[in-house]
Amino acid sequence: MIINSSDQVPRATLFKRFPIPRNFGVTPESRIGRGKTWPVSGDATRVKTFVIYRYDPDSSENPRLDTFEVDLDDCGPMVLDALIWIKDKVDSTLTFRRSCREGICGSCAMNIDGTNWLACTRFISDLATTATIYPLANLRIIKDLVSDLAHLFAQYAAIEPWLKSRTAEPERERLQSAEERSKVDGYYECILCFCCTSGCPSHWWNGDRFFGPAVLLQAWRWLTDSRDEAKEERLDILEDPFRLYRCHTILNCTRTCPKGLNPGKAIAEIKKKMIERQS
Amino acid sequence: MVPSPTTSRSRPLSPNVQIYRPQLTSVLSILNRITGILLSASAVALVVWLVAAAGGPRTYAPVQAAISSWMGRIVLFGATFAFFLHLCGGIRHLVWDTVHGFELRSIYISGWVVVAASVVLTFAAWIASASMGG
Amino acid sequence: MDPQNMQDMRSPLARAIGLGSAREGVGSWWAQRVSAVALAPLTLWFVASIIANSGSDYATFIVWLRTPLTAVLMILLLIALFYHAALGLQVVIEDYVHSTTKFAAVIAVRLGCSALVTAGVVAVLRITFSG
Repeated sequence: MIINSSDQVPRATLFKRFPIPRNFGVTPESRIGRGKTWPVSGDATRVKTFVIYRYDPDSSENPRLDTFEVDLDDCGPMVLDALIWIKDKVDSTLTFRRSCREGICGSCAMNIDGTNWLACTRFISDLATTATIYPLANLRIIKDLVSDLAHLFAQYAAIEPWLKSRTAEPERERLQSAEERSKVDGYYECILCFCCTSGCPSHWWNGDRFFGPAVLLQAWRWLTDSRDEAKEERLDILEDPFRLYRCHTILNCTRTCPKGLNPGKAIAEIKKKMIERQS
Repeated sequence: MVPSPTTSRSRPLSPNVQIYRPQLTSVLSILNRITGILLSASAVALVVWLVAAAGGPRTYAPVQAAISSWMGRIVLFGATFAFFLHLCGGIRHLVWDTVHGFELRSIYISGWVVVAASVVLTFAAWIASASMGG
Repeated sequence: MDPQNMQDMRSPLARAIGLGSAREGVGSWWAQRVSAVALAPLTLWFVASIIANSGSDYATFIVWLRTPLTAVLMILLLIALFYHAALGLQVVIEDYVHSTTKFAAVIAVRLGCSALVTAGVVAVLRITFSG
C-alpha cells in the first residue's frame, strides 16, 4: 500500500492494466497479434513463463506476443539473465539492448510487468507468475524490445545540457562550495534510460512538444548548478505551455525511476523558479 | 506516417495506456481530472439553480423537485464525493507546488489520506445534512 | 497538400525544437493556483451553507441568499469557480485535442464560462435587490 522507494514491487494488484481493450486506439501497424509459444524441455523443475513483445521489421507481420518458458535453475536471477538465456538457448532472434548488466548504462530499460525498469536490476523472483515484457511505452519500435530514442535524445539536446558561462574562463577550477555542489545531487546521477519519460501519460499524449521528466530533470540539473551562468536563457527555453507545463504532477516518473531519482520534484523546482522570477 | 530508414513501412508504436500498470500516482491524477470535469458540469448546474431561484417560487419549483428526487439525491451524492476528492487532491497539488512531499513515501501516504478524507467528508456532509432535516 | 501523406523529413532536433518556446505559461499556472486557494474556503462555505439550509423552504432559502455577506461570497465563488474551471478545461482540451478543433473548443469553453458567470452574478444580484 505504501511505497517507500521506487525499487519496491507492489504486493497487491487490483488492476494490472486499465480496463480498456488491449488494442484500444492503436493504429493498424501497431496492433499486437498472437505469437508463438516456446516450451522448455521436460526435465526442468523450476520454470517461469515470460510473455514477450516481438516485432520483426523484415517481415510484413504486425507485432506479436511470444510465450517463453525459462528454466530458472539454468539462468541468473535478473530479468536480463532470462532474456539472455532465451536468446542463447531458445530463440536467437530475440533482440534487446544491454551493456553494463549493473544498472548504470540504461540500455536495458523496458516495461516489465506493466512498469518501466532496467532488466538487469529487476529480480525474476519479484515478477508475476506469468511475467510480461514490453518495450518502453509509447515509442516507435525498431525491432523486438529495441525502441527508437531519437526524439527523446533530440529533446535532451534542445535544452542545451552543457555548462554555459559568460565570465572569462578561470585559471584553474570554477569554484563551487560543498553546499552548492550538493544542489546537483539527485539530478546528475540520471543515466538517461528514459523509463520516466516513457511512463508519463502526458508525454504519451503530447510527447512531440512536452519535454518529459528525463529532459526536465536534466534541465533542472543545469539550472541548479551554481557554475552555470545561463539561467535566464534556460528558463526562457522552458517556459512554454507544452514544453514544461504539460506536467500535471502525475508522478509516474518518480514511482518508476530505476535509479531512485525524483523527476517530479525537479519539475516542481523549475516551476517554482518560474514564479520566483515573475514575482 | 513515420517510416523507418530502410522501408516505407511505419514502425509500430509500443503500447502505452493499454499495458502500463495503474498506480496510485496515475489513478489519483486521472481522478482529479475526471472530478474536475464533473465539477465543471456541477458549476453549470449551480448557475441554473441560482437563475431558477432568482425567477421566483414558480420557476424554482421544478428545480426543487429535481434536487429532492431520488435520482437528484444520487447525483448530488456523487457530486459531493467528486467535490471532496477534487478539493483534497487539489490541496495535495498545492502542497507539491511549494516543493514539499515529493518523497515516494510521502506521495503514497498523502494519496491514501486524500482518498480516506474524501470518503469521510462525503459521509459527514450527508449525515450532517440529514440531521438538519434535509 | 495532404498532411497525412506528407513525410516529415526534418531532423529529430528540428522536430523537438518545433516552433520554439512560447516564453509564457507561468501566468495561467499561477492564476490556476490563486483561484484554487480562493476556492478552497469559498466552496467549503458553500457546502456548509447548503448543509445548514437543508430542509428549509423556498422563502427561508431566499432570505439567506439575500443577506449581503451571502451575496458577496456567492459572487466571489462564481467568479473564482468559473475562472478556475475555464483554465482547467482549457488544459484538458489542449491535452487531448490536437487538430484545429482545439482552438474552437478552447474559445467555446472560455466564452461559455464568461456567459455562465455573468448569468450567475446577475441572478444573485436580482435576488439581493428584488423587493
